Amino acid sequence: MDTIIDILEELKPGIDFETEQGLVRRRVLDSLTIIALISELEDEFDITIPAVEIVADNFDSAESIHALIERLLDEDL
Amino acid sequence: MNGHIINSFCSLAFLGAFVPATALIYTLSPQRVRPWVLLLASYACFWLISGKLLVLLIATTLVTYLTGLVLGRVRAEQREAVAGTRDRAERRAIKARYRNRSRMVVGFSALASVGILVSVKYLGFLGGIASSLGTLVGFEWHLVPPKIGVPIGISFYTLQALSYVFDVYRSTIEPERNPMRLALFMGFFPQLMEGPICRYGETADQLAAGEPIRTDNLVNGLVRIAWGVAKTIIVADRLNLYVKPVFADYTAWSGTVIALGAVLYTFQLYCDFSGTIDIVIGVGRIFGVRLPENFRQPFFSRTASEFWQRWHITLGAWLRDYVFYPVSLSSPVKRFARGARKVFGTRTGSVLSGGVALFCVWILNGLWHGSGWQYLFFGMYYFVTILASGLLEPLFSGMRRALKIDPSARPWIVFQVLRTWTIVFVGELIFRAEGVRAGIGMLGRIASGFSPAALIDGSVLAPGMDAADFAVVALFAVAMLFFGLWRELGCRTPRPALQHRIGISCAALAAICVVIIVFGAYGQGYVPLDPIYAQF
Repeated sequence: MDTIIDILEELKPGIDFETEQGLVRRRVLDSLTIIALISELEDEFDITIPAVEIVADNFDSAESIHALIERLLDEDL
Repeated sequence: MNGHIINSFCSLAFLGAFVPATALIYTLSPQRVRPWVLLLASYACFWLISGKLLVLLIATTLVTYLTGLVLGRVRAEQREAVAGTRDRAERRAIKARYRNRSRMVVGFSALASVGILVSVKYLGFLGGIASSLGTLVGFEWHLVPPKIGVPIGISFYTLQALSYVFDVYRSTIEPERNPMRLALFMGFFPQLMEGPICRYGETADQLAAGEPIRTDNLVNGLVRIAWGVAKTIIVADRLNLYVKPVFADYTAWSGTVIALGAVLYTFQLYCDFSGTIDIVIGVGRIFGVRLPENFRQPFFSRTASEFWQRWHITLGAWLRDYVFYPVSLSSPVKRFARGARKVFGTRTGSVLSGGVALFCVWILNGLWHGSGWQYLFFGMYYFVTILASGLLEPLFSGMRRALKIDPSARPWIVFQVLRTWTIVFVGELIFRAEGVRAGIGMLGRIASGFSPAALIDGSVLAPGMDAADFAVVALFAVAMLFFGLWRELGCRTPRPALQHRIGISCAALAAICVVIIVFGAYGQGYVPLDPIYAQF
């Protein structure tokens, strides 16, 4: 979880990612930042995030991003 | 469109005869037969507009249906193969093997659907390019493709077909085994002319449910239809008096008239397109089908990219989900993105790599609208505008901070909205102009010959609309602004009014009908506008 927050803070400084729950719905992250975020997450966790997973439910908070990564890692097993 | 029994959805033939007849047969039929009634009505509607070209819709439907079945089989085989091993590397290899097979199936299917689209809509354009290239290298040839005709809504239903195939490939939906359900999703008659572009998961179940026609759906559907008719007949048809002559021969008009022509064309296009979508959503509502909205107060947008999230929403969402994200996440673009971020920093590097996907989106957006250079020019205009705003954002933020501008202050928001309007007016001028050269010529005339004095001395009235016509358009614009603000500010209907919803809806319906009869641009001197987006 800390790693995810570090990546988010590097991409978009000045946001409280521990509490923010509307990263996509409230347009805190635009599509270009989401693409950069995915790239960083894929490198960090050795996963592939397919385009189909880019929905608000998966990217609205650090927690939901964490849950997505856990799920993708599980599916790979 | 002229010469067909149904020229437009805003016509007596469609709203006064076709829809009521379909609704009557639908109501009298048993529930399990109703989806068939809708399918037959849809094919009948298609036939009345495009005749034998119905065979092309059926061909695309058949290809799409079979693709879904094959993808389903590949997926089942993959599941079985993966279940046989616990080794992570081996599971990855199996998945990659089956993914390649699925991709080939998707590729063939897309080639067939897009091939039909290209052969009826773009062969002339491509033939022209090939002839010009031949001339350049000293080889005289003239490729004149056979004229097949363009079936109604082919650009819309082809995107729906592709979205179904992509969604089955991505496993977000199950492949459909009932061909009737898929055929109805592809050809549902209100969507034939101008969309909205739906996803299978969004409408297929509603269409196949065969729900009875309920009083509240009927009344609310009729109100929405009446509002759409009002936009079309009162504003779009009336504005044609001004827009048509200005764009037909721009050299005859001053820069001020051309600038006003571009503004009025934008408003005309909005009223025509969103009015038709109101009719489409209203007709769908009568049959208990909730179609997605295609507009969300676009003229309140603060940037060009926000405008495109509020205007023709279903096309923008389609391009985002099936072009922007997949291109951005493809291996070569991801490699480029990593390099760009290292060299230019996170922000600029991301914008530059996103620019690759943005370029694909806007090339396709331009080409989707038509096979002419002005459509490509239109797409590139938005590509450059949106990319430049992304690249220059750090500079703009610095300037805002230096000038101590509060980004949430009302005057700043108004400035941003007006700036977006200007970008949109220029874009629509390029879009409507009779070719790229005419578009550039019109912009040049505005730059050199715009005179604010002409706005008050009456000379801008020259192209065909008198003061009374302008007054009606202005009144309607104010009414639309009021309703737009109401929705934009999130205002809700007062609770007491909710208890009498049907009565209020009936009163609204009667009021809109009276307004249409009194202010509608019909009769001597007015020529109904062909639905603009039905040509795409």
